[in-house]
Amino acid sequence: MTANARRLSPAAVHRLVTTTEPWLSCEDCFALLDEYVEARLADPSAIAPAMDVHMAACPACAEEAASLTILVAGDDDIDPEPALRRIASNASER
Amino acid sequence: MDRASAPTEPRDWLADLTASGREQDRALRDLHGLMIRAARHQVWRMRPMLVGAGHDTCEELANQAADDALASLLAKVHTFRGRSRFTTWAYKFAILQAATEVRRHAWRNREVRLDDAGVWPDGRPGPEQLAEAVDLATAVARAMVVALTGYQRRIAVALLVDGVPVDVLADRLGTTRGALYKTLHEVRTRLRRHLAGTGHLPGATEAGTR
Repeated sequence: MTANARRLSPAAVHRLVTTTEPWLSCEDCFALLDEYVEARLADPSAIAPAMDVHMAACPACAEEAASLTILVAGDDDIDPEPALRRIASNASER
Repeated sequence: MDRASAPTEPRDWLADLTASGREQDRALRDLHGLMIRAARHQVWRMRPMLVGAGHDTCEELANQAADDALASLLAKVHTFRGRSRFTTWAYKFAILQAATEVRRHAWRNREVRLDDAGVWPDGRPGPEQLAEAVDLATAVARAMVVALTGYQRRIAVALLVDGVPVDVLADRLGTTRGALYKTLHEVRTRLRRHLAGTGHLPGATEAGTR
């Protein structure tokens, strides 16, 4: 044990062992992000397993997906909440 | 949100942007406006990270992010395939850039510890923390020592235990978000495989490396 040892919280344990399969890189996530957000807004239950897994494992990409969802929903004057709940639920399901 | 400037589609952005003269100038001006709008949306969304930053700082961050995002978009505009609306495709460049700028700004004076630290489970189980969870945390702590390389352990601790934003760590290490996420993928794969082997996680099917 080093002097700089860190406590491992339950949340950190979850982050360490969450699955990243099926694999999707951050670059591929960015390439698909616009399609993913429009599909989620059109149908919150749309199937996108690799993107959903990535959102659960990468908080930076998940934040940007949520932000884009709100921005696009604002343009279309629709409620972003169902899509946002679906994006956020990925983290709690894994 | 500035509803008055909300984009109207359909508009043939690709044609307008590749036109010449005033038509192209107008398209670039409109596109820059979209970038500012999306960047401002992102900066203000992440405003709580910017402790002590005033309105001017937020606007500077948004404007800088919009300029950088526009340059990035124009370099890739030939890759737009029309699988979403152009405005949705364009917004994501500004959102990515602004989010990255905010994280950098928020951490600009903060130290990032990248030592090969040991970890130990939070040994204070509350009513919600079952003995099973403590057992898993103990196993994860052990697995981090035996299943990871020193580099993997340092990255995992910084990003997943200390909560350093991935863009910030990428900057400090001179690498990319994607490269660090790939390292986390390897970390998680190794940990899951090890924990499946010790019986702490079910099945080994998804713990294999790709």
